[in-house]
Amino acid sequence: MNRTNAPKTHKTGAISFISPQKIALNKTTPLYWLSDVSNETARIDIYFDAGLRKAKNSIASMTSSMLLSGTSQKSSTEIHNQLDDLGAFFDIGLSHEGVMVSLFALKNNISEAYHVLMDAILNACFPESEFQEVKAEKIQNFKININRVAVLAQRAFQEQLYYGTEYAMLSDESDLQKIERQELSDFHKANYVNGIFKIAIVGALEEKEIQNICDLSKTHCIDKPLEFKSNFHNKPGAIHIEKKDAVQTAIRIGKTLFNKKHEDFLDVSILNTILGDYFGSRLMKNIREDKGFTYGIGSVISESGGSGYLLIGSEVGNEHLKPTLEEIEKEMLLLCNEKIGDEELGLVKNHLLGQMLKISDGPYAMMDLFLSVESYGLSSQFYNSYIQRIHEIDASAIQQIANKHLNWRDMSVISAG
Amino acid sequence: MIEFERYTLDNGLKILLHHDKTTPMAVVNTLYDVGARDEHEDKTGFAHLFEHLMFGGSIHIEDFDQELQKAGGESNAFTSNDLTNYYEIIPANNIETALWLESDRMLSLAFTDKSLEVQRSVVIEEFKQRYLNQPYGDVWLELRPLAYEKHPYQWATIGKDIAHIEKAVMEDVKSFFKKFYCPSNAILCVSGNFDARSIKQLIEKYYGAIPGGVKPARILPIEPAQKEFREKSIDRDVPANAFYYAFQMSERKNIGYYLGDFLSDAIGKDQSSLLNVALKKEQSLVSEINAFITGSFDQGLFLITGKLSEGVDFDTLENALWKELEKIKTQGFTTRKLNSLKNKLSTAKAFQEQGLLNKSISLCMFELLGDANGINEEIQIYNNIQNDDILGFANSILRKENCSLLKINKTK
Repeated sequence: MNRTNAPKTHKTGAISFISPQKIALNKTTPLYWLSDVSNETARIDIYFDAGLRKAKNSIASMTSSMLLSGTSQKSSTEIHNQLDDLGAFFDIGLSHEGVMVSLFALKNNISEAYHVLMDAILNACFPESEFQEVKAEKIQNFKININRVAVLAQRAFQEQLYYGTEYAMLSDESDLQKIERQELSDFHKANYVNGIFKIAIVGALEEKEIQNICDLSKTHCIDKPLEFKSNFHNKPGAIHIEKKDAVQTAIRIGKTLFNKKHEDFLDVSILNTILGDYFGSRLMKNIREDKGFTYGIGSVISESGGSGYLLIGSEVGNEHLKPTLEEIEKEMLLLCNEKIGDEELGLVKNHLLGQMLKISDGPYAMMDLFLSVESYGLSSQFYNSYIQRIHEIDASAIQQIANKHLNWRDMSVISAG
Repeated sequence: MIEFERYTLDNGLKILLHHDKTTPMAVVNTLYDVGARDEHEDKTGFAHLFEHLMFGGSIHIEDFDQELQKAGGESNAFTSNDLTNYYEIIPANNIETALWLESDRMLSLAFTDKSLEVQRSVVIEEFKQRYLNQPYGDVWLELRPLAYEKHPYQWATIGKDIAHIEKAVMEDVKSFFKKFYCPSNAILCVSGNFDARSIKQLIEKYYGAIPGGVKPARILPIEPAQKEFREKSIDRDVPANAFYYAFQMSERKNIGYYLGDFLSDAIGKDQSSLLNVALKKEQSLVSEINAFITGSFDQGLFLITGKLSEGVDFDTLENALWKELEKIKTQGFTTRKLNSLKNKLSTAKAFQEQGLLNKSISLCMFELLGDANGINEEIQIYNNIQNDDILGFANSILRKENCSLLKINKTK
């Protein structure tokens, strides 16, 4: 055997993207159900229109933290004990666009757990003692986090990214100190009680269980379609935040882009992969694997309601800050000025196709893929177009899209350290 | 139930095959029986630095990641105090590429100076990012030497000191590879949607001719049973006072591991756990409190950690904590509580078993502990736990003279 020769590789097989069944809870609120699960597990995601965009960050955030803190009938501990009895776990995620509550359990228990969970959320009464406890915890967490250079840089980046809009208004310690219990109650009444805008279920439940979940949920849904702000423009330029005694400097660089509906989205995604979104990316190869300036560097395309953005992030030794920024700028310029070689482009295509196969493995992955296009009114057809575009895209198209969207002068460049 | 097949190649490499035809992917997982506990006390952090060097090119292949990415795969690795684990996740039809790459770096590395120089620097930045530049980041660097006097668990996988990494030379790298990176010291698990007939031939093709080497004998100092309470207090620029109670407990193969895991869940995992309810909700002494075990292969630690509420002092917490621990030692838990913990473990297990990578790593770890089938037996062990077992465990572990306490005082 000659070990220097790589084994023959094979093309990634076709993926058939599965869409869940759709049930209308009312005119604007869908319930999605993917029932083809071959094991005992199940998950229910409930989306509430109660995200950061709906109030001051501190209020939206604290309300989401207190959803299971007690009702007039049950204490927080009793609610948690009941979910424990059913072997259920939950998770609460907060973004600008909404709050997602995820419930995980075995399928035989999940309907009952859903009842416990929804009773707790819809009838939450924000008891004073729980309120004080969560408030103290939030303040302490804030104080810990604000000592992290990564958090300092991320906050400043967000202010520049959403410059001049309410998305740029971040809460600080004094906002947390000032919160009143009544503000949470009011926010809850206005945004949760009739605030469900989507439910997604994965699991081999019985039809009548799904019907029960519909019956329980449909009177708590929104009645108007959601509208998200889309008109953001980041403020370009460099900002440095001094943090005494830090041994590393955090870097955040990026600009406003768009979401999946934009015609350039697919090409920009592929460009972003080349730049910084896999282990062999230009940024990783240069700044970690060649120069050793950092433990890690990466870039992502994120979407945010009606918009989206590019973000490059890293933490580097203080002495490496200047050369790292220069190298990032150089890598952007290189993508604009020179065509990518065939070997690298081929590698990126294979990598992306392999990733696509991996992230579509199994019913949970299929639901997550579906949900991440459904928010933009798209169907799973999006992924077929994506795969087709990966096959088709050539070096000229990459260079063109780089020239259109990857100009250093458009970037907000933040460093903290 | 996770089905698997197990056999050993002539050179001593242990093989585990787990066939899962529901996935289009495959995982090649390689576990080497070497961790930070096998390091010399003057050259700590080496097992982990070495893990980085494994991606710096092998004897016949210049760029590991590039070849893997061409085949649509990805790779990563981790090092613990006990072991080092590498994996590739790859479309199942390209599984041969992963075997080719992973076997070549088992045969020999390229040992380039450039790779050593760069990865030394990368690991130093990792040291700074994780341990030095975070509030409370250096806790484990302080707590380990307090809790362990003899056993090499007294240093963290990143190492005792950045200087040890800075001083690493190529000679160290080569001798480390020679001693620990050989078939007789490794376990290979291939899982996913492979072709059941050809997989064994492929494994033989790529691994069969690698010289087996000699499995290194492990003779480590045994940590003596702790006889008196230890305490250390350090000042840091952090927003809240923090406490770390570390109790000595049994090694991974002992039933005590399961009892410790179960008890730590009961008292300090979720909001409904005993210490959360008593010390946080009812008495407002702490802003957070957690209990967990390290799960080390040799003698482990049972930890209770947390942060004090504003205005509460360490002594008040100390008194209240011991009062709660004494209650556990006399009463244990209700049947309802025991059952709910068992239910949660069953749910967690069912979700974990969906992940191919998760299954592959677990199979290798259980095989290293003596039998890969342990993965199928652990839920029954948890289900058999009775209140008396918990009482016995709590009384033998949760004693003051078995405890090391690290306090972090905020300086402003």
